[in-house]
Amino acid sequence: MNHEELGDLYELYTLGVLEEPERAEIEQHLKTACPECQAGVKGALALNALLATLPETLEPPKRLRRRVLASVGMEPAGSFWKNAWALAAVALAMVLFVVALDSQRRNQELAGARGQLRRTTSDLAQARAEIQQSSAELRQVRSALTLLNLPNTREVVFGGATAQPPRGRVFVNRQQGVLLLASNLPPAPSGKTYELWLIPRGGNPVPSGLFQSDIAGNALFVRSGPVQANTAAVAVSLEPETGSTAPTTTPVIVASVTD
Amino acid sequence: MIEFLLFALAVKLSEDDPELVRRLKNREPQAMAELYDLYGRLTYALIFRIVRNGPVAEDLVQETFLRIWNRVHGFDAERGAFGPWILAVARNRAIDYLRSIDGRTMQTPFELEKMEEPSQYADFERHIMNVDRARLLREAFVKLSPNQRVVIELAYYEGLSQSEMATRLRQPLGTVKTLVRSALKRLREHLGERAALA
Repeated sequence: MNHEELGDLYELYTLGVLEEPERAEIEQHLKTACPECQAGVKGALALNALLATLPETLEPPKRLRRRVLASVGMEPAGSFWKNAWALAAVALAMVLFVVALDSQRRNQELAGARGQLRRTTSDLAQARAEIQQSSAELRQVRSALTLLNLPNTREVVFGGATAQPPRGRVFVNRQQGVLLLASNLPPAPSGKTYELWLIPRGGNPVPSGLFQSDIAGNALFVRSGPVQANTAAVAVSLEPETGSTAPTTTPVIVASVTD
Repeated sequence: MIEFLLFALAVKLSEDDPELVRRLKNREPQAMAELYDLYGRLTYALIFRIVRNGPVAEDLVQETFLRIWNRVHGFDAERGAFGPWILAVARNRAIDYLRSIDGRTMQTPFELEKMEEPSQYADFERHIMNVDRARLLREAFVKLSPNQRVVIELAYYEGLSQSEMATRLRQPLGTVKTLVRSALKRLREHLGERAALA
């Protein structure tokens, strides 16, 4: 082909739609650095560029600008979504903060509740102990009343001759036991307790129970169970808090029991 | 008229192309924003005209600008014609897409990539894309016969070879070649000599 024939094909060549063998012939010719052909190619590129302006102008979606800029790392494609994520992160942080505050408040409430529970438990234990003590005292009083109401219970008075002695009465029922009522009996020192002894005639004192007097010096103690017939006296001595098998101190109360 | 005003605006702004190209080469993201503001509408309109699908056109516009961004280092800011290069890249991206979805296996290897080389757009006179020339081309295009307009559109907007046009139009290949040759000749004549364009 001569230059004139080639000149009709530059546009198709630059549009990429020229077929063989014309395409190969143009390329071969362009390798010769033919100024006329090179100018022809540039003219064709210019015409193609002008053909690009023929379509009716369309306004692209605004999001397309964001996408394009995001693709080169400028505005985040979607700065909206970035902002949305940022807002979501802030919202999440606020939620976590509120949850943390609420959790702290709940922990404080829980700790308070636990303290309250501990106090309540302690109070309950104390109340239970008081009830147990009261129950024991009640049982002791009932036992004492029972023993006192029995017709064959004998009463013994002790301590009436001394200036500041423990005073009181002992009620003995051979079948039911012994009741001790005392006053002026000082509370036992720390580590000590009072121990009741039943002393048989001609025999050694028999340990018969431990008890304490109250702060006013009063004591009520019941030793339940049969009393040996040869019991001659009831005594009380101050002993170690675990009790003794035989008196270790001089008895503070001695009451003779005689039929 | 509106499209001409917009095009004129783009052309006027493109007088700053050398500086814009330098800033793009310096990787100034703001320069990309300005480039899009200059050519975004033109490229979108062109690509949409080819693919007739909004979401696809958006993808291809993004691909076009990304390709410009990645290849701008090879562009001669002082001697190159930025607009024609951008539009060529945009058109070729769209034609590539059409060919891919049509499953068109071209009988000959078309070198769209080669026509996107920045060096192809060196030594252009800057005024090759101005309002007057755009108006002249439009006038010339309107004056073409319907068949002439069809073959130009098939070549430019669908990327069909002359053989493919003949098949599509059910016309002899010789007839198609005559239509193409005569259409291009009228366009060139209306615009002036090709040498004057280059």
